[in-house]
Amino acid sequence: MVDPSITGREIATITFPVDRSKLAELARAFGDGDPAWHDPDAAAAAGFDAVPTPPTVTVLADHWRSGGVAGLVEAIGADLARVLHGEAEWEYRKPVRMGDILTSRQRVSNVTQRQGRRGGTMTLIAIETEFTNQRGELAVRRTDTLIEREISG
Amino acid sequence: MTALLTTALPAAPVDLAAGDEMPNGTVGPMTRTDFVRYAGASGDFHPLHHDELYARKAGLPSVFGMGLLHAGILGNQLARWVGPDNIRRLGVRFTGQVWPGDVLTIAGRVDRTEVLDGVRLAHLTLTVTRQTGEPVITATATAEVAR
Repeated sequence: MVDPSITGREIATITFPVDRSKLAELARAFGDGDPAWHDPDAAAAAGFDAVPTPPTVTVLADHWRSGGVAGLVEAIGADLARVLHGEAEWEYRKPVRMGDILTSRQRVSNVTQRQGRRGGTMTLIAIETEFTNQRGELAVRRTDTLIEREISG
Repeated sequence: MTALLTTALPAAPVDLAAGDEMPNGTVGPMTRTDFVRYAGASGDFHPLHHDELYARKAGLPSVFGMGLLHAGILGNQLARWVGPDNIRRLGVRFTGQVWPGDVLTIAGRVDRTEVLDGVRLAHLTLTVTRQTGEPVITATATAEVAR
């Protein structure tokens, strides 16, 4: 079980590239065949100064985290089999472009507990991540809420 | 997975008013291959999304899709509507699971617009819904739109 006293804990700082191959893969995974998501000429033809990125592009940090998504769950002391993704929120400050190098700083911003609908305690863990670009500008602030369910019966 | 709409991706803010609706998009039927492709693209290798034996052992009927896969599909559709650079905020709540075979409908509308510091903002409500009518994402977003 997640211990509420981890509120405020820094989890990881990860620096990662926003590279063309991963952007092409992401677009394809979203069923979006538009080359403007990875081809500089197609992006320029659509009127962009550089190749734009999908709103959820910051997910690419998970490739560079030790242990991947499971590494994050482990870092907060949760049980992988009992954790669900409850909410995600992105606040956009500066556009993220292909070729950017992003650094993500992540911390546990809140831990609360409440009774689940089917009994048992639910622990809600809010994780805040700030992504800054290679110029030191805050590009995206992301908040995720993970839900850990207690084993019941 | 069938492709999303492929109208041009807007670079500049687009003209939107309260009541305007996002062009509906339908994706699916979702397959295990779609989940694995997203695992490779995103780095999310949680076994519940690709390992059938692990999922059954956890008491589930099968693997299910990552929330950030259908949130990402929604995000790209939103970007195609308002332009990727014009999205100020996107917040999604995961309200159900996506199973292999599901067909998802992406919808959205403008609730209201306001002018803040000389910038016109549109406040949007968005959903991703299974073929059963059950929403798997309810979301809100704010986008800069043309003045």
